[in-house]
Amino acid sequence: MSAAFTLYDYVLSGNCYKIRLFASLLAMPYQSVAIDFYPGYEHRSERMLSLNPAGTLPVMVTSAGGQVLTETNAMLAWMALHDGGAQTPWFPAVDPALGPQVQQGLAFGAGLTDSIGLARLHAMLDWPVDGEAAKRAGLKHLRALELHLTDRQIDGGLWWAGAHPTIADLACFPYVALSPDAGLEHDGFPAIRRWLYAVRSLPGFATMPGIHPLHELR
Amino acid sequence: MTWRPVGLTRDVPAGRVMRAWVDGQDAVVWRSTRGVLSAWDNRCPHRGMALSHGFVRGEDLACLYHGWHYGAEGGVCSLIPSHPDLTPPDTIKTRAFQSAESDGVIWVRLEGSPDLAPPAIAPGLDPLRSFEIRAREGDIAHGAAAKPFEPAILSLLFNPIAHDRTLVTVLIDAQATSDQRKLASRWCEDVRREVEA
Repeated sequence: MSAAFTLYDYVLSGNCYKIRLFASLLAMPYQSVAIDFYPGYEHRSERMLSLNPAGTLPVMVTSAGGQVLTETNAMLAWMALHDGGAQTPWFPAVDPALGPQVQQGLAFGAGLTDSIGLARLHAMLDWPVDGEAAKRAGLKHLRALELHLTDRQIDGGLWWAGAHPTIADLACFPYVALSPDAGLEHDGFPAIRRWLYAVRSLPGFATMPGIHPLHELR
Repeated sequence: MTWRPVGLTRDVPAGRVMRAWVDGQDAVVWRSTRGVLSAWDNRCPHRGMALSHGFVRGEDLACLYHGWHYGAEGGVCSLIPSHPDLTPPDTIKTRAFQSAESDGVIWVRLEGSPDLAPPAIAPGLDPLRSFEIRAREGDIAHGAAAKPFEPAILSLLFNPIAHDRTLVTVLIDAQATSDQRKLASRWCEDVRREVEA
């Protein structure tokens, strides 16, 4: 099968992992180009800035049509639609009940980059930011997610919205799963733990450093 | 020693592992595939790795670090993967605590008479949720009393997990509707916001 897109990728990035994870769940082939984010700062090289002036990772270039996408949520949407068209259960965009809920989760997931994601960069790579402020913002986000997932549990639900996992779950999963890297443990968050376990149980689940597989009996 | 409420039965299904704090003791609470609940010192006797990072394999808990297995019955080491032909001696074992479940709540205590059951919970209550507040038990009880929840009966259980952190387990009238449960869950957030401020 030919590659559906090219991904400019950094293995330790939670945002890049969103795309790798979804590609694995969909069994969608793609071509990966490894970018030396640290210590090389290659994402800020002339070549990468001419592709994405914002200097962020990941960057996706679709094989058909050569669309350049630089927002992770847009990439997730593109992949869902490329895979299943308007009927894809991963992105019920026009469903009057679920569509807005999924948008809510996508925005929430993007926000995690600036809280837990930043706190993690500070903890792991000594990024020159206020690590404590980022960590406080991350704790607030975890508490908000716990409340939302507790609501879902009261309604008998498991995912961010609806009966099927959506790209909202994938937009939120990586930085929540990686929050212990930033010193934000999952101990006090039972609904989050249940949801993390559910995502890790999905057929085709892919790991990254810091996010382990579920170990089946061998 | 006192029985401490460390979480909800619902939150530790078969095959899952959780970390808990009991009277200052770091503990791992886990349930085997067949449903046996255990609470142990959260420390692999091999290299000290937190067993709460480990994973359940049948009736054993396996350490994430080097895969040493400990059996649900007694916490004795049953397998050392790097020495597959060795039968580990019974002296390689974790320190086991007492655990019990009643009314959907998991209780752990470090030691005590085995015939003394955990405290009974008033009948007709369902577990709602457990969550952490960065405050002491007394301040939380005070804050909760100052902000009574009107729509349904609630009951709060406290487990001090550090000098300024408390795990709160909330139970709600079993007759409460879904909407009342969600309101009660928000009330928990309101109390936390107020007590932590």
